[in-house]
Amino acid sequence: MLLRDAFKTATRSLTQGKMRSVLTMLGIVIGIASVIILMSIGQSAQDLILGQVQSIGSNLIIITPGAPSNGRFSAPASAQGIVITSLQQRDVDALSREPSIDLAVPEVRGQAEAVYGNNNATVGYTGSTADFFTISNLAKVSSGQTFTKSDVDSANHVAVIGPDLAKTLFGPNINPINKTIRLKNISFRVIGVLGKAGTGAFGVDIGNLVVVPISVAQKQLLGITYFNVIITQADANYDVNFVKSRIKFALRQNHGITDPNKDDFNIQTQADILSILGTITSILTLFLAAIASISLVVGGIGIMNIMLVSVTERTREIGLRKAVGATDNDILQQFLIESVLLTFVGGVIGILLGAGIVGLAYVVITTFFSSVGWVFAFPISAVILGLAVSGVAGIAFGIYPARKAGKKNPIDALRYE
Amino acid sequence: MIEVHDLQKEYSEEGTSTRALRGVTFTIDRGEFISVMGPSGSGKSTLLQILSFLDRPTGGSYTFQGKSIDNMTDQELAHVRNSDMGFVFQSFNLLSRLTVYDNVEVPLLYSDTPPSERRTLVEEAVRAVGLEEKLHTEAGKLSGGQKQRVAIARALVTDPNVIFADEPTGNLDSESGLQIMEILESLHDKGRTVIVVTHETQTAEFANRIIRMKDGVVESDRGITAHRVRSNLK
Repeated sequence: MLLRDAFKTATRSLTQGKMRSVLTMLGIVIGIASVIILMSIGQSAQDLILGQVQSIGSNLIIITPGAPSNGRFSAPASAQGIVITSLQQRDVDALSREPSIDLAVPEVRGQAEAVYGNNNATVGYTGSTADFFTISNLAKVSSGQTFTKSDVDSANHVAVIGPDLAKTLFGPNINPINKTIRLKNISFRVIGVLGKAGTGAFGVDIGNLVVVPISVAQKQLLGITYFNVIITQADANYDVNFVKSRIKFALRQNHGITDPNKDDFNIQTQADILSILGTITSILTLFLAAIASISLVVGGIGIMNIMLVSVTERTREIGLRKAVGATDNDILQQFLIESVLLTFVGGVIGILLGAGIVGLAYVVITTFFSSVGWVFAFPISAVILGLAVSGVAGIAFGIYPARKAGKKNPIDALRYE
Repeated sequence: MIEVHDLQKEYSEEGTSTRALRGVTFTIDRGEFISVMGPSGSGKSTLLQILSFLDRPTGGSYTFQGKSIDNMTDQELAHVRNSDMGFVFQSFNLLSRLTVYDNVEVPLLYSDTPPSERRTLVEEAVRAVGLEEKLHTEAGKLSGGQKQRVAIARALVTDPNVIFADEPTGNLDSESGLQIMEILESLHDKGRTVIVVTHETQTAEFANRIIRMKDGVVESDRGITAHRVRSNLK
């Protein structure tokens, strides 16, 4: 039998029971749509996260306290509840002297209640130097100004706050500049409002951030002498990996470390972070797709079930076709094409449906949550995967019913009532 | 054309075996019109199934156009069924939701006929049974007699040497039955071999030879004249 005729015969059989075909397809449609949606969301999340990391600049090198993870992902020591005091001012001084480093900016971080009058909000605060704004791309303020080196040196109680926090604490009618807010019962004069909101590197909510001089944050807010992180900006004329080795050298010397396996600091470049985050988000996407594929299996079993029913219902037709010359393979081919057509068409509809939902979600997210910076991603790999999986599902779940049909004895089939 | 010698068929099911054919021997020449008669359980349908390559014998020999069934694969049997044999069944076995055209075309789908020639062949076959105006009518909407004519057109479309008909008038009124037998007779007149299984004497007597079966063996095998019968049917 010509493949063209086999397709025509299969299409005719399927269109004769339109409602049944549509309902049978539904499982595959939902399955493929779920895989497409989750892969797309995974890709969007990955693009978003990686985009944020990339936005901090490829020449930034981040130094955190604690032993290096040697390429494996592990939570920072601070997140594990371990206090490591290894990063000190002398490290910042040493790094600042290094010719291959343009900027070395220490940071301390904490959380507190920000209060103005009767308004309050729980915020993350960062204590840093005046260079923090340059190195974090936050130098542009919407009103006021950022603090200066002399504010840091004099431990002035000044703060630069995020625009969302400004709205929460002051409302639309009060200008926050020169107003006093309280963090941990310590007063700070607001001298600037950051120019942009959204999520910054490392998931920092810039819209609700409070930045204060590091001298005040260390002594009065946290009561510590060490730093949580040192961010360095490599000179553009030097290779980042070379700068990384220079930092290692300087810090080992400062910390008296002779055994390279006993480092008490962790150095990550943007590339390192991208690689780790890329791995995490890829695994997450795969995991989501794997969950979604369960519905594909359920859909496939539905197809197999209906194909088995169809083979039984059409026993006499099979007998007749065999009597007039169809071979076992002709019958097998016909039923296999029917199941592949069902799953393939279901797959195409699923892809279109998935694309539609992803597009709709993008419109909704960008309309109502514009600060998230969600990106539209519709990976072509998901489309190829969707088509391939639906085709393979048609064969996998159709082969048993098709073989059953092909093996039918023509005499028994013709007698079937 | 057809030679069977000591043909045997034994069915085994759940430990018990039934001998449907117990040594059948005869020869059918090209162009004969044969009726196979016999009561229920006489083995006539089993004989037809073996003669039409739908089943294999468990003993004896069967040679069709000089080829022994024993030496043929299932695929070869299917090929011979398609090119050299036509089938007419008691219950028509049409695909009721397909048109007359599509039903008649089915055997051609499994043949080597190029798609470009199919339309002519189908139209010729349908014209031969006088249903050209029903070409695009759904088979399910036809009367019993018309359905059987479509089935004959389907049997004819590959231009086979032999037509097997299993109780072709069994589901029809006498007038439609007569028309069907007349069509089969005309096919015989054009040189085709026609083998009809029936339990109706009037139908059987359209043939020029009647083989009577009883208990799996040939009880009698005799030639008759056909035109006596037609008056009986009318």
